[in-house]
Amino acid sequence: MLTLAWCLPLLGALLLAFVPRWTERNARAFATLIAVISLLILIGAWFGFDPDGPLFQHVWEVPWVPSIGVAYRVGVDGIALAVVTMSALIFVAAIAYPLDTREDSQRSQAHQYYGWMLFLMATSLAVFVVLDLLLFYVFFDLSLVGMYFLIGRWGHGRPQLSALTFFLFTFAGSLALLLAIIGLYLSLDSPSFDIRLLIEQQPLAGGGLYAGLVFFGLMLGLAIKTPLVPLHTWLPQAHVDAPGPASAILAGVLLKMGTYGMIRLPLAMLPATFERYALLVGLLALVAILYGALVALGQRNLKRRIAYTSINHMGYTVLGIAIAASFSDNLMAKQLALTGATVEMVAHGLITGGLFLICGSFWYRTGTYDLDGYGGLAHRAPRLAGLTILLAFASLGMPGLAGFVAEFQIFAGTFAVYPWLAVPAVVGILVTAALFLDILRRLFFGKLPASLDQFKELDRIEFTVLSVLGLGVVAIGVYPGFLLEVIDSASVLLTGGR
Amino acid sequence: MMLWIVPLLPVLMAPLIYLSGRREGCTGVTLLALSALIAVIGALALAMANDWQGSYALNAALVLQVGLVPSSQFVALAIPIMALPVLLFAGVHEQAPLGRLLAIMVAFVGAMELLVLAQDMVTLLVAWELIGACSWALVSHYWRDRDTVKNAVQVFLVTRFGDLGLYIAAAAVFAGSGGFGYSQLAGLDGSLMQVAAAGILLAAMAKSAQVPFSVWLFAAMSGPVSVSALLHAATLVAAGMYVLARLQPLLADVAWLMPAIMLIGLTTALLGGVVSLVQGHAKKLLAASTSAQYGLMWVAIGAGFPGVALLHFLSHGFFKAGLFLTAGVAERQAESYQLEDMRLGGRLPGSALLGGIFALALAGMVPLGAAWTKEQIISVAYAASPWLTAGVALAGGLSAVYATRFQLAMFGPVRFGRTQQRRPPLSGACRLELLALSGLAALTLGLSLFWWPGVQRWLQQQPGWELADVHLWLLAASLVLVVLGMALGAVLVQRGQLDGHQGWRRSAFCWWGLEPLTLGVGATLVKLSARLARFDRDVLERATLLLSRQASQTASALARRDADGVDASLYGSASAVTRIADFGATAGEALSERLPGSLSGLVNRGGGRARQAQSGQTHHYYAGMAIGFAVLLTLLLLGDAL
Repeated sequence: MLTLAWCLPLLGALLLAFVPRWTERNARAFATLIAVISLLILIGAWFGFDPDGPLFQHVWEVPWVPSIGVAYRVGVDGIALAVVTMSALIFVAAIAYPLDTREDSQRSQAHQYYGWMLFLMATSLAVFVVLDLLLFYVFFDLSLVGMYFLIGRWGHGRPQLSALTFFLFTFAGSLALLLAIIGLYLSLDSPSFDIRLLIEQQPLAGGGLYAGLVFFGLMLGLAIKTPLVPLHTWLPQAHVDAPGPASAILAGVLLKMGTYGMIRLPLAMLPATFERYALLVGLLALVAILYGALVALGQRNLKRRIAYTSINHMGYTVLGIAIAASFSDNLMAKQLALTGATVEMVAHGLITGGLFLICGSFWYRTGTYDLDGYGGLAHRAPRLAGLTILLAFASLGMPGLAGFVAEFQIFAGTFAVYPWLAVPAVVGILVTAALFLDILRRLFFGKLPASLDQFKELDRIEFTVLSVLGLGVVAIGVYPGFLLEVIDSASVLLTGGR
Repeated sequence: MMLWIVPLLPVLMAPLIYLSGRREGCTGVTLLALSALIAVIGALALAMANDWQGSYALNAALVLQVGLVPSSQFVALAIPIMALPVLLFAGVHEQAPLGRLLAIMVAFVGAMELLVLAQDMVTLLVAWELIGACSWALVSHYWRDRDTVKNAVQVFLVTRFGDLGLYIAAAAVFAGSGGFGYSQLAGLDGSLMQVAAAGILLAAMAKSAQVPFSVWLFAAMSGPVSVSALLHAATLVAAGMYVLARLQPLLADVAWLMPAIMLIGLTTALLGGVVSLVQGHAKKLLAASTSAQYGLMWVAIGAGFPGVALLHFLSHGFFKAGLFLTAGVAERQAESYQLEDMRLGGRLPGSALLGGIFALALAGMVPLGAAWTKEQIISVAYAASPWLTAGVALAGGLSAVYATRFQLAMFGPVRFGRTQQRRPPLSGACRLELLALSGLAALTLGLSLFWWPGVQRWLQQQPGWELADVHLWLLAASLVLVVLGMALGAVLVQRGQLDGHQGWRRSAFCWWGLEPLTLGVGATLVKLSARLARFDRDVLERATLLLSRQASQTASALARRDADGVDASLYGSASAVTRIADFGATAGEALSERLPGSLSGLVNRGGGRARQAQSGQTHHYYAGMAIGFAVLLTLLLLGDAL
C-alpha cells in the first residue's frame, strides 16, 4: 500500500519523461491525477491505522541484499503517517498550482517540469515511509537531485548558483549523515539497516565517544537540512530563486526530512546520547527561533521574509524534539513537546506551503517580491487577501488555526522541562506577529499604486488549491483530535510513556 | 456540551452576516447581527436555567472546559446587552462594508463569551488571542488609510506582548499539575504559582490598558467609533479586568500580587485622569478615561472585592459606550474629533441631553448607578488603606472634571468670536442613532436602583458578591470632590484653559513619554532586525555563495582542462566536490574501514557493482566514493547544460 503510494509518482515521472508530445495542460492534469491518487492511497492508510496498535504499521518487507542487511522495508508510525500525508497534499497543491510560464522556451518543457515534480514526490514520500536506513539515505539524497533541477531550470534570478549552493550544502550534510549511518550500522552485532531493529536494540545505549560521534554526524546532516542557524545560509536564496510551487515543496516537505530524521534516527535510536546533548540542541533551537524571526522581520523581500519564518518555525520543531529527548521524568511534558513538534511539521507544511504558493502568484503577476512596491490590494483581490490573512494568522500562531495547536504544546512541554528556555522562546511569536502584520499591511492595505491597477485576482485553480490548504489549517486548528490521536500513538511510545 | 452554543453561535453567524452584508442594504445585515446577539442572550438564559457545562478534549493533555460561575454568568449576560445598542448604532452610522464590520463585531462578542466562560487556561488563552485578532481587524476597518492600519498593528502587538504572559502562566500550570484547569492553578505551589501570577498580571495589564501599556488605546482610536465603544465597554479592555476578578480568589495567596494590582490600578486611575484632563481629541479623552476607570476596578480587585469591580464594569460599560457613540454623532456634525472644533450648542439637543446623562454618570454624580459603584470602590479602598481611599477619591474628582469638560466642550454654547459655518444636521439615520443612545441612557439611569437598599440586600445574598460597608462621611467627602470637580471643569472650559498645547500639558497629552516609549521599543526592534538581516546577508550568506561559486568554477575548469577523457573529467569534478565535503571525509576515515565503497555505489544506483568493490583495499573505497560523487556532479552539470 505504502509502496504503491510512492512508486506511482515514479511511474508517472517516467511516463512524462519518455512519452513524447505532452501539452502543458495534459502534463499538468496527468501529474495532478497521479498525485491525487497517491494522496488518496495514503488517506486510505490513515484509515487503516490503529492508534492503539504497535509503533510501526502497514509494514512490508522484501529481502534484497541479505549479506549486508539491506532489504526493502516500508512501514509508518503515527508521526511518519502524519508527515507523509501532509507531504502528499503539498505535492498535489504544488503540482496543480499554475507555474509562471511566460517564457515560451519553458513552456515546451512543461512535461519535464511535471516529470521532475513527480520524481521528487516519489523520492520524498519514500523518505518518510521506508524503514531501511540505507534506503532512507538514498531517497534523502535523490530528493536533492529533483529539487536541484526544479530550482536550476525553472527558477528566476540566479537559479543556477542558488541551486548549486543548495545542492552542495545539503549534500555535504548528507555525507555526515552517511558516515553516521555507517557508524550505526557497524555498531550492531549482526549488522543490519533495519530501522525497527536499531530502535529495538539500542546498540549505542552505553554512550562514549563512538556514540557521540555518530550522534554528531546524524545531527549535523539533519540540522543542515532543517535548517538550524548557523547552517541555514543555503535556504533563503534557494527559496527566492525557486519557482513558487518548488518553494512550497522545499519548505513544506524537504525541510521536514531534517526534523523527521531527528525523530526517527537520533531520538529513537540514540536516546541516551541525545539526552546528554538535549539542552545544547534546545539552545540551538532557541537561537534559530529568535534569529529566524528577527532576520525575517528585517527583510524587505516578501519571499525572503517567509523563507526566514521557516527557520523560526523549524526551530520550534527542533525545540520540541530536544525536549522529548531531554533528561526529565515528566513524561507527559515530553510527550506533549514531541506531539507539538510533529503538529508543527504538519502545520508549517500547510501554512508555509500555501504562503509560498501565494508568493508564486505575486511573482506571476508582477515579477517582483519587493514589499515596498505593493499596497492596497485588499479591494482588487479580496480572495487573495482573505487567504493570505488566514495563512498569515495561522503562521503567527492564532488559536483556532493549526500553528497554535503546535506551538502551544511545544511551549507547555518546554516550560515543564526547561522553564528559562521557554520564556525567551515565547517572544518569537511576538516577532512573527509583527512581521506578518507588516506583510499584510504592505501588500493589501493603504493606497493602491497605479502600477497595480491591472492586478488580477486569483484564478479558479489557485483559489481552489489555496482554499484546500486553508481548510486543512482550519481543520487542524478547530478539530485537531484526528491528527493528535495518530501522532500521540507514536509520541507516547517514543518518549517511553507506554 | 450545550454550553458551547453560547460562544459558537455568534462565531458561526459571523460568516452569514458577512455574506448578507454583500447582498442587501444595511437594514438586513444589521437586523441579522442584532438577532445573533439576542440569540446569545437567549442561549445564556437557557444555560443558566439548566446549568449547562461543556468540555472538549483535544487529546489527553489538552481539554477545553467552559462553565458558569456567578461572576461569569453576570459578565456573560452584560456583554451582549452592551453590544446590542452599539451594533445598532454601527449599522446606521458606519460606512460600508457593513457586513464585514458587523460580522467581526459579532464574532468578537462570541470570542469574549468564550473568554468569560472559560474554566481552564487553554480556553482562556484561545479566547484571549482571538479577541486580539478581532480588534486588529476592527481597528483597521478603514484600511485605505495607512496610519489606521499601522495603529491596528500597534494595538495587536502591544496586547499580544501581554498575551505572552498568559502563555507562560498556562505553561506554569501545566508544569506544576499536568493539567490546565483553573482548579489546578489554585493548587500550584511555590515558584510556579509566582510565575503563573506574574504571567496573568502581565496579560491583564496589557489588555486592560494599565500603565505602562495604556498607550495602545490611543492607537485603537483610529478604528470606527462604534468599534471603540465595543472595545472599551464590553470586550477587549474588559477582558483584562474580568480575568483578574475571576481568578482573584485563586491567586489571593500570592503575597505581592494584590498590593501590586492596587498600586497599578491607582497609578493608572490618577495618570489617566490627568491625561483626560488635557486631551483635546474627544475619543482619546475617553480612551484615557477608560484606562482610569479600569484602574479603579483594579483597586477593588486588589482590595479583595472582585464583585465590586464587576458592578463598576457594568455601570461603566453602559455610560462609556454611550459617550463614545455620542462623540460619533458629534463628529458627524463637526467633521472632527477635536473638542476645539465642536461646541455644537443647541444643534443636537437630543444627543446633548443623552450625552449629559452619560457624562454625569462618568463624573460619579448621585443618584446614578455609576456613582454608587464608584463609592463602593472608595469604601473597599478604605478597608485596605486610608491613603488608597484618598487616591481613589481624587481620581473620582478628576473624572468629574474631565466628564464636565467633555460634555461642555462638545455641546456647550459657541464661544464668543468663534462662530463656524456648519452643515445642516443629517436626517434619517439620526433617529436610530438616538434610539441606540436612548437605550444606553435608559440602562445607565436604570442602574440608579443600586442606591435602593432592597437591591443592595439582594446583591449581597448572591453567592460570590461581597459588598463593602458605606461610610457616610466618606460618601459625603467624595461627593464634595465630585461637585468641586464639576465646577472646576465648567470654569476651565469657560476660560478655554485646558485646550493648550504647552508645558506639562503637552507631555501629559501622550502619557508622559509612554507613547514615544512604546513606539521607540517597536522602532528599536525593527532596527535590530534590519541590522541582523544585513549581517545575515552580507556575512553568512555571501560566504556561502562564494564557496559554492568557487566550487563550480573549479569543477568546470578542471573539466575543461581534461576534455580528452571522460574519466579524467570525472575525477576532476569529484576532487572539487570532495574538497567541499572534506570535513565529512576526514572525520569518517576511521569509520570507513569496511563498507563505504559498496554504500556509495548503492547510493548512486550502482548497486550491481557493490560486491566487486568489496576488495578490502582502502584506495578502492576512495575511488568508489569519488566515482559516486562524480556521477552526481555530472548529473548536475548536465542539468546546467540543459
